[in-house]
Amino acid sequence: MSALNNQKLAERNIPGMNRHERFVQAEHAENMGKTLKRVAAYFVHEKIMVLCMLLIVVCGTVCGVYAPSLQSNAVDIIAGIRKESLVHTLVFMIAVYLLYSVSQLLQGFISAGLSQRIVKRMREELFGKIVDLPIRYLDTHSHGDVMSRMTNDIENISTTVSQSLPSLFSGALTIIGTVAIMLWYCWQLALLSFATVILTLLATKILSKKVRKFSRRRQMLLGQLNGTVEEMISGYCTVVAYHHQDITAADFCSTADSLTKAGIRTDIFSGVMGPVMNCIGNIGFVIIAAFGGYFSVKGLISVGVISAFIVYAKQFSRPINEIAQIYGQLQTAIAGAERVFTVLDETNEDKSGEELAKEKNAAVTFRNVQFSYEPGNPVIRDFTLEVPSGQKVALVGATGSGKTTIVNLLMRFYDIDSGEICINNQNIRDIARDSLRRNVAIVLQDTVLFSDTVRNNLKYGNDKASDTRLEQAADISRCGEVIRNLPQGYDTVLVGSGENISQGQRQLLAIARAFVADPQILILDEATSNVDTRTEKAIQDAMQHVMRNRTSIVIAHRLSTIRDSDLIVVMDHGRIVESGSHDDLLAQKGKYYELYMTQYAGFAT
Amino acid sequence: MWKYIKRYLPYAIVAGLFMIGEVLMDLIQPGIMSRIVDDGVLGLHNNCIGSLNLIWKLGVQMIGLVLFGGLCGSLNNVFVHLSGQNIGNEMRKDCFRNIMTFSFPQIDRFGTGSLVTRVTNDITQVQNFVSQFVRGMIRTSLLTFGSIYCIFRLNWDFGLVVLCAFPFIVGCLAFCLIKANPLFFKLQAQLDAINAIMQEDIAGIRIMKACVREVYEKARFGKANDALIKTQLKVLVIFAFMNPVINALMYIVVAVILLVGSYEVNGGGATPGNIMASITYTTQLLNGVLMLVMLFQNISRGLTSWERVKEVLYSEPELKDGSFDGTTRQRGEIEFRDVSFAYPGNSKIVLDHINLSIHQGETVAIMGATGCGKTSLVNLISRFYDVTDGAVFVDGMDVREYQQKALRDKVAVVLQKSELFSASIRENIMWGDPEATPEAVKDSAVTAQAEEFILSTPDGYDTVVAERGMSLSGGQKQRLSIARAVLKSAEILIFDDSTSALDLKTEADLYEALQASSPESTKIIIAQRIASVRRADKIAVLENGRISACGSHEELMKTCAAYQDIYHSQMGEEDEKNECA
Repeated sequence: MSALNNQKLAERNIPGMNRHERFVQAEHAENMGKTLKRVAAYFVHEKIMVLCMLLIVVCGTVCGVYAPSLQSNAVDIIAGIRKESLVHTLVFMIAVYLLYSVSQLLQGFISAGLSQRIVKRMREELFGKIVDLPIRYLDTHSHGDVMSRMTNDIENISTTVSQSLPSLFSGALTIIGTVAIMLWYCWQLALLSFATVILTLLATKILSKKVRKFSRRRQMLLGQLNGTVEEMISGYCTVVAYHHQDITAADFCSTADSLTKAGIRTDIFSGVMGPVMNCIGNIGFVIIAAFGGYFSVKGLISVGVISAFIVYAKQFSRPINEIAQIYGQLQTAIAGAERVFTVLDETNEDKSGEELAKEKNAAVTFRNVQFSYEPGNPVIRDFTLEVPSGQKVALVGATGSGKTTIVNLLMRFYDIDSGEICINNQNIRDIARDSLRRNVAIVLQDTVLFSDTVRNNLKYGNDKASDTRLEQAADISRCGEVIRNLPQGYDTVLVGSGENISQGQRQLLAIARAFVADPQILILDEATSNVDTRTEKAIQDAMQHVMRNRTSIVIAHRLSTIRDSDLIVVMDHGRIVESGSHDDLLAQKGKYYELYMTQYAGFAT
Repeated sequence: MWKYIKRYLPYAIVAGLFMIGEVLMDLIQPGIMSRIVDDGVLGLHNNCIGSLNLIWKLGVQMIGLVLFGGLCGSLNNVFVHLSGQNIGNEMRKDCFRNIMTFSFPQIDRFGTGSLVTRVTNDITQVQNFVSQFVRGMIRTSLLTFGSIYCIFRLNWDFGLVVLCAFPFIVGCLAFCLIKANPLFFKLQAQLDAINAIMQEDIAGIRIMKACVREVYEKARFGKANDALIKTQLKVLVIFAFMNPVINALMYIVVAVILLVGSYEVNGGGATPGNIMASITYTTQLLNGVLMLVMLFQNISRGLTSWERVKEVLYSEPELKDGSFDGTTRQRGEIEFRDVSFAYPGNSKIVLDHINLSIHQGETVAIMGATGCGKTSLVNLISRFYDVTDGAVFVDGMDVREYQQKALRDKVAVVLQKSELFSASIRENIMWGDPEATPEAVKDSAVTAQAEEFILSTPDGYDTVVAERGMSLSGGQKQRLSIARAVLKSAEILIFDDSTSALDLKTEADLYEALQASSPESTKIIIAQRIASVRRADKIAVLENGRISACGSHEELMKTCAAYQDIYHSQMGEEDEKNECA
């Protein structure tokens, strides 16, 4: 690989590729001890199950360690070295072995139940947390990353807990028990068999170092390859329009080739682990056979002991191999758990506060409001505005003038830095967020619908609404007809965030939803998406209806829709630069006039 | 699949041979051990006098065999991965190359997401499947049947005992797998459901909070989570059942061998060494069977993936390349002759007997409601789709006669959705012409009104655009795509609603610059705003797949009611009148 190529790779991984970047990082928990403690806390919660499990593991391990010695006795009886009833010994042996199997079975059941309970709790806690976090969290973190914590990390924890936990539990006990009994039978032979453990550890260490080195490069290439595929297939229109198919394919093939090279290296080193372990196991077998034979000729041990040793050697090397194998998995899981805990440690949105006083009117006042998303970069400056009850105020201004931020502030998605926002002289900072939000409805630029029935979507803001109310709202919002034409009417399930209806119809549904919520205060963030003129007409009509007799704030992107507003406020860089009615503002020939003229510049000539 | 295996078959065969070596060594060892016990320790053939010499000799022999076995295993591993990875790589490359020849209906039929998974995940599964097949299958089957053979060779009765147990073991395995298999599908579906909720709620968090639905959403998620956990638990329980039961069966076999053995030792038919070796073989056999089960699971996964990969690999490209090389006297003439079009597999007629001719250097605008067929109409010019009826002519030649490259060289399209790629701004623009000089790139950026913002980015033209242009605003993306199209200097320029995020002033400047820089190109503009299109030579109004009117702005204002309607609504004069409708 040329240096240039590597440079290019590195560059490609920099921006917006968080998802792949994570692969490149070695998976290591920042603070292993602390994370483990918290994971342990989840187990403490399941005390009874854990205790049962421990009991069964102990019982099973004792059986597992004891049974081979019975087998050894049986061999000795057959060889004529011991004089006991073979049948008795065998029956006893089978009984012990069966007990061992039963305990393993129970252990499997319990660990399955345990792991699923823990995962269920973790997943619900994480989801609940994400829902309860302030909006700022999701605004500042990549959604892909949050999703991956929810899916990948939790999945990793789940597999590890259900698969590795029993191995670890019983593994440790088995090792102790087996080592003890082997030493008791013949310490010389036992020590010789332990030599294989040292070999195992050595081999694991050397190989895993090599594997890590190559797999890092492999993950990076894999990220790049997946990125290319995703990008090129989702941008296939452009690829075809520019006839770049051949160039793209050649590019892909060269990445695929380097990936294969890196993959072969990684796999050779990681795959050799199997044969090497097998070989080491066999060496152990030879040691037992040869030295066991030697000791037995010398009269130190009986033939049966050799037979028992073969079983024991297998028994205690298995957990060691397993632990070596799951070590990497364990680390990944712990790193994942740590990422989950980081989210869980974020502070929730504060839900405390008083109720919004019920009044017939609802006037909204902004007084000297200052706000910035990042310190030192104010978005709203000294913003003072009075929206009288039942009136319609429109905010206009260029992109970045801060008009969309007003939604965030009035809904308390973000809290202001200074100044105050009041509803009927009640400062919204003192009002509980839930109470505030129940009284304010919003219709956003990007229409959000949930994959649920039309009915449930409409009732989203007010789940006590009656069916008649829904139909009425839908009719007024000009989507009653659309809904009735759907295959199951109000019970049609909208798929994939509402893909089975058109963009314009989705906006109509969102307006109907605000209608059903029936709030005193309404914020409309006008959508700019390309809907055809007729649908747009319907949307505007619906908006006019929903705003009637409500205190409304319209964030306008097109000037044609707001001429009848009671007040038009022109914003620039977070400040109010002008306000008044449409005609007043035009007469002033100021900023509004300028904006108005740019919008119709095409007609000015 | 044979096509791919064939090329790397030698590797696979060598791998198989080494595997046989490894397994043989595993199989020989218990036999030698049996001799150590019988002859070395017990001295059964030497009047019960053990021989230390023999023990050491056999011990050294065994070590030699073990090391040889280990070597074979390691080499097998090397060749397995050489064959598996290379086969996977060839498939992956072929898949991608083939996708690059797909027509849009084909891409639509598969779905973008599905194609991506097929090229990435599914191929990896197939690759693992090949590796595991070459390594695991040979190993486990050799080990299983070899062990049975060795037991029979040692002692027929022991062999029969093992054979009797065999059906039980297989039955138990089959039972578990049959029970678990349908659950896997359910598991996947439930996992998808949970992810869907998650995704939706993250995207719609503002609405959720505005409607104070946190508790409701938690309950909805909890329900999906419960279902998933329940299924997962079922799967785990089934698998928890498998191992202990099979182990128990094996212990019973061991006990029976011991019992039968004791009679035969008394009768002289067997030796203690025989018994011990048989027990070792039984354990090996069991390990083999258990590994086989794991393999079967992976194999079924691999085969499913292979089916999905195969669909991509063996899909024939649907658009047949023509033979015409694109040299024409006319430059930029387009004619739709009685064109009708419906999307493949969809009976809805999108375009209905369209007749329209566009001459060189003309600017033609197409207006109409969403879904009236504007994009479909221009897509037919670059032959993204084939007409259902009629024909589209470019420079007097049916587009189906063209070589695809020749046709697409004549046409530059700016798509509705600006697609940019994670490369530098310069590289993105140079998609239009890979051989363009820096000056040409700069010129096209100036024409597209993009130069100003490009120079304000940290590295100017070398600024890397994030995946899918996420680091840029909508208007910036649109201007870069326009620069890319302008650089192509094609005879026909198509703007598919690609200036919607620009303010009217920038848009007007853009069209002016465009007219100045390439006056001879034919331009087709799809737009929603009358302001964007009114200066076109010709404006075609599409309604329900038909051209309802066609003429200049002034003509249409006089004759076309639909056009007047749009005009007035955009001027905002009808607001009050329609309010109570």
